[in-house]
Amino acid sequence: MRTRNRFWWFVMVGVLTVFLIIGVLVGFFWIQLAPAERALLLDVLNRSFIYVFTVAVMLLAGLGFAVDGVFHVYILPLSKLVEEVTLINTVNPSHRIAMQGSSDVDRLVTAINENADRVEALQGRVEERIRLAKAEAETEKNILAAFMADLPEGVLICNTDGRILFFNNRAREYLSHNRLSASSTASGLDPFMGLGRSVFTVIDKNLIVHALDEIAEKLNTGEASAAAHFVAVGEGDRLLQVETVPVLNNRRDFNGFILICNDITVQLEIDSRVNALFKSLVQEVRGSLGGIRSAIEAMLAYPQMAAAQSERFKAIIHEEALQIGELLADSEKAYSRQVLTRWPLAHMAACDLVEAIARKAEAKLGLKLAIYGCEDDIWVRVDSYSIVLAVLFLLERLKTHLGVRDFNCCLERRGRFVCLDLRWIGKPVKIETLRQWESEELSVAGEAIPLTLRDVVGHHDAEIWSHSSRRLQNTAYLRLFLPSCQSDTACNIRSITILPESRPEFYDFDLFNQPGQSPDLDDRLLTELTYTVFDTETTGLNPRGGDRVISIGAVRIVNLRLRQEDFFDQLVDPQRPLPPESVKIHGIQPEMLKSQPPITTVLPLFQRYTEETILVAHNAAFDMLMLQLAEAETGIRFINPVLDTLLLSSVVHPSQGRHDMESISGRLGVSVVGRHTALGDAIATAEIFLKLIPLLAKQGIYTLRDARAASQKSYYARIRY
Amino acid sequence: MAAKVLIVEDNSSILIPLTFLLEQNGFEVQTAVDGEEGLAAVARFAPDLVLLDIMLPGLDGYAVCQAIRENPECGEIKIVLLSAKAGEMDVAKGMALGADAFISKPFANAQITATVRRLLAGPP
Repeated sequence: MRTRNRFWWFVMVGVLTVFLIIGVLVGFFWIQLAPAERALLLDVLNRSFIYVFTVAVMLLAGLGFAVDGVFHVYILPLSKLVEEVTLINTVNPSHRIAMQGSSDVDRLVTAINENADRVEALQGRVEERIRLAKAEAETEKNILAAFMADLPEGVLICNTDGRILFFNNRAREYLSHNRLSASSTASGLDPFMGLGRSVFTVIDKNLIVHALDEIAEKLNTGEASAAAHFVAVGEGDRLLQVETVPVLNNRRDFNGFILICNDITVQLEIDSRVNALFKSLVQEVRGSLGGIRSAIEAMLAYPQMAAAQSERFKAIIHEEALQIGELLADSEKAYSRQVLTRWPLAHMAACDLVEAIARKAEAKLGLKLAIYGCEDDIWVRVDSYSIVLAVLFLLERLKTHLGVRDFNCCLERRGRFVCLDLRWIGKPVKIETLRQWESEELSVAGEAIPLTLRDVVGHHDAEIWSHSSRRLQNTAYLRLFLPSCQSDTACNIRSITILPESRPEFYDFDLFNQPGQSPDLDDRLLTELTYTVFDTETTGLNPRGGDRVISIGAVRIVNLRLRQEDFFDQLVDPQRPLPPESVKIHGIQPEMLKSQPPITTVLPLFQRYTEETILVAHNAAFDMLMLQLAEAETGIRFINPVLDTLLLSSVVHPSQGRHDMESISGRLGVSVVGRHTALGDAIATAEIFLKLIPLLAKQGIYTLRDARAASQKSYYARIRY
Repeated sequence: MAAKVLIVEDNSSILIPLTFLLEQNGFEVQTAVDGEEGLAAVARFAPDLVLLDIMLPGLDGYAVCQAIRENPECGEIKIVLLSAKAGEMDVAKGMALGADAFISKPFANAQITATVRRLLAGPP
């Protein structure tokens, strides 16, 4: 019962009791009077009734005002004071009480605020010391985590239930299936990968179970290597070779497993081509050798054979020997193309490349290169050794062919290409000459690679053209077009490991001790459940009147930590006009929604995102109704348990009048960024929810069942949309 | 009367020495350079033994071997497969299709003459 109601019940019962006592006393008094005295008394009362009645009413009114004053000045502030003090002591030590009451209450408030200042300062000092003590240990953990995050292999660490405790960037790249692609839906694999989620949603469970059985067998027989291997299909149909390694605790009990994934698609492709090349080479050499051997054996066995026959056999031997030589040369070239052109390309400043060319040209060819147009921000992706050799090869050919010794080397960015020009005074190179050079193997001043100029240029997706300058007379040049390196391609380059300020949000080893999700969620502690905190933006506030969802944003809470990296943020085409007044609130323009998927595509995806979690929303009744109204269209039904931060806030702070997001955020010390975007509101709601959990515990609300029961009782539960 | 041997081989560098070798050993030899010509020669020449290359243009050696075995009139013809493919699978496939011997390239001339003699001397 609310404080106000309880107080007035108390007052009414008090007043009734007083009236009852007065009535009984009057009754006794009346019985003892003689009839004449009763008549006299009635007569007096009759005559002065108006005065007596007025005095009685005024007394009652005075009493009422006094009681109301006491209620507002003492009782109500004291009741609020309890909530405010709890707030300071639990979630928001920076909160200070600002309320009006009697001077006594004001003094109490001042004293409490001063005390809170002292406690906060003290707490700050203690926390600082704890922080410093933790920092060292945390740095070591971060080095490990940052190192793991940038490994070239995809690494996933899972507990015994297959829940993901750690994954690195590469694992996410290999295994996060494209959310809206048909292949991810068809494969039955989940597009979401996140901490606390099951690994079986991204890799076929049967493969992992088989590997774990193999490991168990190896552990039983005491084999030195307990790893098991399998091949799985990752994002974009890439083939992943997965090594499974067990994690044992100090008693050698199975405690989890590590999956190390390597992309073997390209390697397999090269292997199969090289294999085919090898087979074909062997077969052809066997055939030729067959002829040689047969002919020479016949000549040895029949030395007296006719001269014409003997000459024929010699010709066969000669022909086949030449044939074998050609075969070997062709195969070597083909092998070089298959294997050597797989050299990785690296990010390089074009200036550094040109300077390297100039240095080598002077040292090896005695040529002088003047460099022009060097800008710091021109980048190319090259295998520097082969491309430098290719340009040196060209310079050497120009020197011998045209007798040129002085060159200008100019760099220029043109659209998505970087032009590297070699300019000289004289005639241009004829196209047919250039094509001839392109077909020659690269060999310059004692350095050579078994690839032609065309191979190297092709490997870089580059082109070479011969020009004569229109502006500068008598100036010719060779232009090498290299694709410029866009910023988005830089992700293929191994990044420098930078230690993050806080622990990277890719791992949570505390999950090693987390029990698996089970159907009896109701009796589980709020602190150990996994939550999807979500918010929707809509075309309006009237779901039953046809308003539709236009955006869904969600984040997850695992192990009491907000997992911002594992988010869901999707715009939805409502397939109906967007009222201008709603645009003012959420800022989503109608044209932003045109190319977005409809609710029938988004909701199945969102359901998979929320699987095995508790749904949390602010004013969840509204958002759930939005999802329920889409049920008929999508066939998707959300059966997850639901918690509402609005109701939970009214449970922990029944005396506070306002439970909108801004008020709660202010009370609990949560800063809201990106208000009125679905994802921004979902993150704020999640932070509020995390602060509410300890406050609920103070009221004896520990389990999901407790939280749901308390919510239902709450005053706001009566609101209906 | 000399035994008749048909050589079906598209590579003349092998065909010429083999022909010479078998003729020197007293066999009557005819040649063909692809599968179709080989089958026609079998019908025309009615050889006692066929030296059959596997990788032939058009109809390959396996198909020729199968066709000979499926023709009841050719029941007694011995077939020796010659191939630069020498994997276990290749040998097994050849033998399953009814070949009597499998010789991989490069071979010794003595191996050819010994195999031909052995097969032609054996029971029909």
